[in-house]
Amino acid sequence: MALMERSEWYDVARDTEWTPRYVTWEELFPPELSGGEGLPDDVWRTYDEPYKISYREYVDVQRQKDAGAYSVQAALERADIYNNADPAWISILKEHYGAVALVEYGAALQEARFARWCKAPGLRNMAVFGMLDEMRHGQIQLYFPHEYVKKDRQFEWSHASMFSNNWVSLGARHFFDDMLMTRDMVSTSFCANFSFETGFTNLQFIGLSGDAANSGDYTFSKLIQSIQTDEARHAQLGTPLLQMMIENGQRDKAQKEIDISFWRSYRLFTILSGIPMDYYVPLEARHTSFKEFMEEWIVTQFMRELEDLGLSKPWYWDIFMRDISEHHHGQQLGTYSWRPTLWWNPAAGVSPEERDWLEEKYPGWNDTFGKVWDVMIDNFVNGRTEKTVPGTLPMICNLSQLPIVGTPSQTLRDTSVVYKGRRYHFASEVDKWIFEDNPERYRYQKNLVDRFLGGDIEPADLGGVLEYMGLGSIGPSGDDAHGYSWVESYRKQLADAG
Amino acid sequence: MSTPMKPLKTWSHLTARRRKPSEYEIVSTNLHWHTRDAEQPWEVGHNGFMADFYRKYRNQSPITHSDWGGFRDPDELVYRTYNILQDGQETYVDGLLDQHNEEGHDRGLPPEWTASLLQLYTPSRYLLHTIQMASAYLMHMSPASTISNCAAFQAADSLRWLSRVAYRTVELAKTHPDVGFGERERELWEDHPSWQGFRELMERQLTTFDWAEAFVALNVVAKPAADEVLLRQLGISARRNGDTLHALLTEAAWRDTERSRRWTVALVNHMLEEESNREQLTSWVRKWQPLGVAAIEAYAAGLPENDEGAQQAVGAVKSFQRQLGLEG
Repeated sequence: MALMERSEWYDVARDTEWTPRYVTWEELFPPELSGGEGLPDDVWRTYDEPYKISYREYVDVQRQKDAGAYSVQAALERADIYNNADPAWISILKEHYGAVALVEYGAALQEARFARWCKAPGLRNMAVFGMLDEMRHGQIQLYFPHEYVKKDRQFEWSHASMFSNNWVSLGARHFFDDMLMTRDMVSTSFCANFSFETGFTNLQFIGLSGDAANSGDYTFSKLIQSIQTDEARHAQLGTPLLQMMIENGQRDKAQKEIDISFWRSYRLFTILSGIPMDYYVPLEARHTSFKEFMEEWIVTQFMRELEDLGLSKPWYWDIFMRDISEHHHGQQLGTYSWRPTLWWNPAAGVSPEERDWLEEKYPGWNDTFGKVWDVMIDNFVNGRTEKTVPGTLPMICNLSQLPIVGTPSQTLRDTSVVYKGRRYHFASEVDKWIFEDNPERYRYQKNLVDRFLGGDIEPADLGGVLEYMGLGSIGPSGDDAHGYSWVESYRKQLADAG
Repeated sequence: MSTPMKPLKTWSHLTARRRKPSEYEIVSTNLHWHTRDAEQPWEVGHNGFMADFYRKYRNQSPITHSDWGGFRDPDELVYRTYNILQDGQETYVDGLLDQHNEEGHDRGLPPEWTASLLQLYTPSRYLLHTIQMASAYLMHMSPASTISNCAAFQAADSLRWLSRVAYRTVELAKTHPDVGFGERERELWEDHPSWQGFRELMERQLTTFDWAEAFVALNVVAKPAADEVLLRQLGISARRNGDTLHALLTEAAWRDTERSRRWTVALVNHMLEEESNREQLTSWVRKWQPLGVAAIEAYAAGLPENDEGAQQAVGAVKSFQRQLGLEG
């Protein structure tokens, strides 16, 4: 062999730890940035990344991935998905790109922090690839929707959402800034690589990719499959750190960070994945319900990983198990009702056939959420559309920044706490627990309702709120994805009955 | 209920331009949402460590500009084209290594030269790693995504050459098992006089947090110093000692150096659009330059067959700084 195998020289490339002389170790790796306090100094060189790749392999493999994804996009441009796909599918694209593109790029900064501040030299090298991966995900998820901006102004949000005060953006920014951008390297890795990426991005990338193919959008399907293959590589970065903490007597600390980030990730994904999977994906294209997907990927696979590490299910497991059957239904009711505040056009997803499907997947749906939809449908059928849009703001959780919802007449309740003279409202016991664990971290943040009541939004009416959220300036307000055509079947039922 | 709004031809922030935006502009511009509010970079409260860190070391840097987002990478690199470019370059480097190995190149190296490689070449993985860390710092602290991207590719380039140094270290150890390749590098980096200048320079650079000063210390002083002496001057020594492979590898690495200098020139020019920045930038070059010169001199003292090495390298660094309008 004239060229050596990677395994022959790989260890030398990550043997880059040295003892600083002109500055101290603490100056080189400040605890607030590096984390991992209390771990013995010599533990860092034992870090062994589960997935190994060299620079030479990386640029080769990734060049080919992009060649594949971009050529599919170019080839399928003429298929004109924008005009030929179900309008609800286009809404999924708008929601996805607006919520994801810049955040992916933001994750490149998070990986760059690992490349600088991690005390484990092997991880510092791997994080350079993680940083490049996230740059790719940001760039490709800007390039693809850019094709649509000349057709539809709502695609402007793919770039603009994270700069806006739209309530979805406030929720997304609070989540990412809390989990990925403002913690030390070790904690960030648990929140980002372990809970968020290993745990949840599969929902978006594997779940939606199948639905995309079923909906005829092979460009999107190929795109997110391709992204997922990168994710599988850098998501693994945090696991050996977790093992190091557990082996060095810091199991409880690690467990708590996982518990917090798992819940926060889950709640964000109820909006990002839960709603689209059960309401927007055209019925004939749905391959699993959100709940089924959660059970397969989270309840079974992710939890097994957690247990293999010697960690436990989060303390709120029972709450979580009930929540996956109901929370996203509440968020769908909320988001659809407040559709003028969205940057995409939500699908109601409650035609008679869809309701049968919902009842089958979520027994009892018609007697709970269905009852609220009955009222809404009655208003639509009888031409009282104005009654289907609320005139006031919903209660917003001071942790997730998302509306406080629940199963009508069963679990909808306000959980609140007073801290240093201010009352905070939470969507659940878990959100409240996260706040109370570190109130100083969260106490100053004002949610949309706080801003409204505090006079930050002018004029203090719905028009002012829409303007504050960027509707009418960045893009037009959301409206029913199908122009209410689904109401026809109910109108017909009414006529037949009458 | 929704107001019709006319679709635009591109992202709204790019519509003022008269030409069609390039792929580079579509995917690289105005992506740092944490610059939207200088008082509160992060959407969680405002008194945390990380909020203070970004406020102090980025937002309150003495180097100011009214439009950081206006910076453009002169190479307009995006992820997609970076991989195409570097995959081609790596194929070339693989070819060099493969071919020279086939020809038994390393067996023909004189013993005095292999000793020089151990002293001056294989420990460079530490230096490359510090440049990688420092570039990653700029990536996450820069005030514009177009600046961050240049720094990110620079970090990746450092990992590229760190990997090749590791490769060569093992390859040299196979042919010359008694020299100490793969065993003595840390000790040499930590203690040998050749490296102490660069070690001090980089340890101090890595603990410099103002993003603009970190940029000047790295891209205007430390990296040019390292490139001039480790690539160019050691490359000259290599040729004079019959190490064609090493000389060709350093020339391949120089392509990445040139790209780093192009964006450095562009960013310094961008900074100098605000005349008030010149004095601060110059004073930082003056502050860091002595460490850079000392690093070059300590290292170059060991260069075989290259007595003018230090002088040449210092002159080349100064010439680069003159080109930037920042004489140290």
